[in-house]
Amino acid sequence: MDKNLSSAGEKKTNCAEQSKCFQLLESILDGENIPDGDKILKEKLEKCEPCYRHFHLEMAIKELLKTKCCHQITPQDLLDNIRKKVQEIK
Amino acid sequence: MPIGLIAEICDFQFKVQNKVKALTFFKKISDKLTHSLLLILMSEVQRKKYSDKEKNHIFDREFMPHIDSMYNFAYRLTFDEDDAKDLVQDTYLKAYRFINSFEQGTNAKAWLFRILKNSFINDYRKKSKQPAKVDYQEVETYYNSDDVDYSSTTDLRVDAVKDMLGDEISNALNSLAVDFRTVIILCDLEGFTYEEMAKILDIPIGTVRSRLHRARNLLKDKLRSYAQTMGYDTDEEE
Repeated sequence: MDKNLSSAGEKKTNCAEQSKCFQLLESILDGENIPDGDKILKEKLEKCEPCYRHFHLEMAIKELLKTKCCHQITPQDLLDNIRKKVQEIK
Repeated sequence: MPIGLIAEICDFQFKVQNKVKALTFFKKISDKLTHSLLLILMSEVQRKKYSDKEKNHIFDREFMPHIDSMYNFAYRLTFDEDDAKDLVQDTYLKAYRFINSFEQGTNAKAWLFRILKNSFINDYRKKSKQPAKVDYQEVETYYNSDDVDYSSTTDLRVDAVKDMLGDEISNALNSLAVDFRTVIILCDLEGFTYEEMAKILDIPIGTVRSRLHRARNLLKDKLRSYAQTMGYDTDEEE
């Protein structure tokens, strides 16, 4: 029995080209236009456990970053200063 | 060899050398002339590109709507409210001064981010209250090897990440060296494409991809240690 197969007998438990695969998965996650991206993603997620876990973890982190790190409110005095200084240049 | 012949050869060599010198001189002059002509032509084109009304329209409709993103970026680069304000203000004033170099219909947000990033490198990085702790080249060389230990990062669980509070993810992001922090901000917070990031950062797309990948591995390392201190099970999934 191949040690590289999980108990379910279908997913690889090791990814031979982890760095390359993970970068490709991240590119797909980032919405980059990868030829056959959907097909590659489906296949990787179905057949490779490390790829599956990496993709879902990255997706969760990306979502967390987007929802928790984007809410700086620009100080009003900065807005006022920019308007004032631009008027001066004009 | 007769003396007359030697003299002739010397004379010939002298003429050849002078010709080469003269040619080099002319080439230099013509290059400079072409360059200055180009600059004059460019500024001529720039001067006449937009009317004042158009400038104001572009500034208000295309530049100002990105101010929250710009301030967030500046704050995460400088970690200081006053520095962030100065950086954003400088960026917007530069954007107005050089508005004629902006092509309407192109990506204003990417254009502004590029100015801000350049201003940060040129003006703020040196005097920043929290300078980059690690020299970028050093970091890139270190992490450019392919033997990154993934086993230490893959056991962070999705559940643990989903339960994290804003502070943890924000602190983890802020703890990264500035070049790694930057690619995550541009990609995950601001949604720039790799091509846009390459232009903003003046690096090839391949470098964007690998830098982002390495930045994410570093971020996961941080999150993993937070998850452990929070008491989350970071072992293998059940």
